[in-house]
Amino acid sequence: MARVKSRVLGFLRILGIAGRTGRVTRKYPYEPPLVTSDFRGKIEFDSEKCIGCGACVLVCPSNALEIMERGGRVVLRYFIGRCIFCWRCVDVCPVEAIRGTTGFELATDNPNDLYEEVVHDTVGCSECGRGFMTVKQKDYVLGKSSVVENYIDLDPGCRRRKFLEAIERRFGGGE
Amino acid sequence: MGREVVDKYTSVIRGVDRSADIVFKDDTLYTTISPSSLRDLAKKLYWDLGCFHRTCAGVDERSLNGYFAVYHIFGDDRNGLNIVVKVYADPENPVVPSIVDIVPAVDWCEMETRDLLGIRFSGRSEYRLVLPPSWPNNLYPLRKDVPYNLRPKILASSERVGEGATGVAVPIGPYHPALHEPEYFELYVEGERVVDVKYRGFHVHRGIEKLGESRMTYQQVNFLAERICGICGFEHAVCYSQAVEKAAGIDVPERALYIRSIVLEIERIHSHLLWIGVAAHLLGYDTGFMHTWRIREHVMVAAEMLTGSRKTYGINMVGGVRRDVSGEKIGRTLDMLRIIEREFQELVDTMVSVPQVKKRLSGTGVLSREDARKLSVVGPTARGSGLDRDVRRDLPYAAYRDVSFNVPVYDSGDNLARFLVRVEEVFESIGMVRQLLENIPKGPIMVEEFIIPENRVAVSVVEAPRGEDVHFIITGHGRPYRWKVRAPTYNNIPALRVMLEGESLADAPITIASIDPCFSCTDRLLIIRSDGSRKWVSLDRLGCIR
Amino acid sequence: MRFLKKSIWVFHLNSGSCNGCDIEVVDVLTPYFDAERFGVKLVASPRHADALLFTGPVTLESLPKVVNAVKAVPRPRIVVALGSCAVGGGIWHDTYSTIGGVKELLKILDKQGVVVDAVYYVPGCPVRPESIIHAIALIKGLVKKRVGREAS
Repeated sequence: MARVKSRVLGFLRILGIAGRTGRVTRKYPYEPPLVTSDFRGKIEFDSEKCIGCGACVLVCPSNALEIMERGGRVVLRYFIGRCIFCWRCVDVCPVEAIRGTTGFELATDNPNDLYEEVVHDTVGCSECGRGFMTVKQKDYVLGKSSVVENYIDLDPGCRRRKFLEAIERRFGGGE
Repeated sequence: MGREVVDKYTSVIRGVDRSADIVFKDDTLYTTISPSSLRDLAKKLYWDLGCFHRTCAGVDERSLNGYFAVYHIFGDDRNGLNIVVKVYADPENPVVPSIVDIVPAVDWCEMETRDLLGIRFSGRSEYRLVLPPSWPNNLYPLRKDVPYNLRPKILASSERVGEGATGVAVPIGPYHPALHEPEYFELYVEGERVVDVKYRGFHVHRGIEKLGESRMTYQQVNFLAERICGICGFEHAVCYSQAVEKAAGIDVPERALYIRSIVLEIERIHSHLLWIGVAAHLLGYDTGFMHTWRIREHVMVAAEMLTGSRKTYGINMVGGVRRDVSGEKIGRTLDMLRIIEREFQELVDTMVSVPQVKKRLSGTGVLSREDARKLSVVGPTARGSGLDRDVRRDLPYAAYRDVSFNVPVYDSGDNLARFLVRVEEVFESIGMVRQLLENIPKGPIMVEEFIIPENRVAVSVVEAPRGEDVHFIITGHGRPYRWKVRAPTYNNIPALRVMLEGESLADAPITIASIDPCFSCTDRLLIIRSDGSRKWVSLDRLGCIR
Repeated sequence: MRFLKKSIWVFHLNSGSCNGCDIEVVDVLTPYFDAERFGVKLVASPRHADALLFTGPVTLESLPKVVNAVKAVPRPRIVVALGSCAVGGGIWHDTYSTIGGVKELLKILDKQGVVVDAVYYVPGCPVRPESIIHAIALIKGLVKKRVGREAS
């Protein structure tokens, strides 16, 4: 199965190959780079659309997205340094607040440049006052189903407690 | 493969152990036998029936049925069958008979099991392979009661060169200009001749198998599997999702199978072109290196256009693929293939005509057919030594049933044979991608809804550019219960000892490179002892220590 | 860092990466990208190097060797952390066998008294060859940063 033929002085053909090819170097950064429009680069957040639900945080394989509380507000933090550019968060976001770009020029000497944040205000529980959900998430859930209006202002702990109290009243519980 | 093959194996197994439990599903025969019959069965399967040994995996099944288990996976390539042999071990003091004198290829797997799970093997000398020498004793990372992110306070120790062997030690690595990955070879030389080789690897052990069982879900493990190796990552992801699909009985749509095969072959082309360039560089022919990688750039651009990234494509999921191949992209890919075929043919004719390249490749690094059979080598290393093994033809997966291709086999077993096998495979792959792109069927690319039941076992085998890759899965709740990866280079490295003995030192780099070592796939776990001896351990053994 | 305006010689240090970033480092030297236009060349020994191209989350096994290699680089030392594994630990930032990337390595080096003069971070998985060229151009002061608050 010899698809390869070796000839005496055959190595001189390299001169022909080199001559025909010429120069192929792309003089980046002074010329446009060799990147296609399909490239998966850095992601961008639309802070108006984001509701702070945390779906992107659950699917990120490398925990580059984190959601945390800071001073009574909810912060979604994106660490570009650990991102693996898989765009699963783009696929999963329910309101399409995450957009993928072809950005690949991400070098820096200051690691704090690699953190991006989206900050949300929270809704406080009407019983105990603890913040448990963002304002935008509450509007989104109400928009989907108005039947939850009765307990939308309660946090899960108070909701559970009220449900148990209702059962007690209905079936007669301990005094 | 007909019913008579399955019946033949059933009768062989029953002949060894009458109470054996045998189940046949898809293309795999599962059997559980008593430990005392293991050695007889291994001898019959490996030598009398001509099977090869793929891997062995230890599993901590104490939470399922109260025992440890060891699975030996054999493969009959001629009939397209996998044979999984399971033995149980006592939970308090797990001991299993060793089969290393019958099947020399299991040396590393058994020691890996011992390092990571604490299962002992009777009848052989044991040594630490995978974990560092200063790792605490009796801490077995792959056991279920050990967390994956436990970091014991140990001080990793440095290399101590050249103890207890004849000849002068020449250390190569871990950071050497000829190597891309950290690995450490000690070549013992007398004059210019190499007399012994010691290998310490597992610098790239990152805890993959344990991570896949703890923090990740089924779909996230695809991305983890892709980063086992940056050069052959996609086939790891395909092998993993095929194993899960086999275990759960998911039917992947045909268009997705075609897209998977197209991207697999493009990965093979890129990997072989990379190797040919690196081989030319190691032989001193830098012109060949530059021109080969110039041609390879077309493949990278095509991969980026089809999948979204130059490497670590990230399009494979359990149940299908994430990106589709549109009509315009098909045209551009076919153009690119035409350019590559024409330019590569001319370049490789020129390369083998260079007298120094041809002389340095012929006759060096010889691996005879008998040694290759004993060590169960895989991939172009096996095909260069006369063993006709190729998983794409023997156990077809994805869309390989619909494609026609040749498998190149050479008998000389030297570096030139392995070089020519890879060159021919590039041309075959180009032809395969052309066939697949022209005949791709219409339809969906992903299965939307599926359920993955617990406690199912499956084995999946895929032909990576370096050889056959085996993934073994036991499904759990939302994530795998046990995931074992046996990368192709794992079986090929022990062959280096045979290939390097008696060679002159100047031929050592090209011989080491000719098996196309991919240490990131292999170093799942490596343990090195404080007295200088090392043990390769697979990470999966190491499991996680929380 | 006036000396940085001249050619920077780099040493490639792989502390346990999957090789994706490493083959892109070798790719930067090939005809399409050609980092040698900037005077960059790969050297054989850390003693000849100005900068270290660092990839991989530092594994326990390779940690002492990495420290030896960094110590061998003469002052001023630059470390360029390439890829998501080096910058933030990557997908295995919390496993038992790695220490979590360049940040943890710098803490260990600090304790041993090894001074690193400048550290550059280049995210990507794997890093594009153009990203590496962008990082080198950033070191030499030819381009501006594109991330962070002072980004253009």
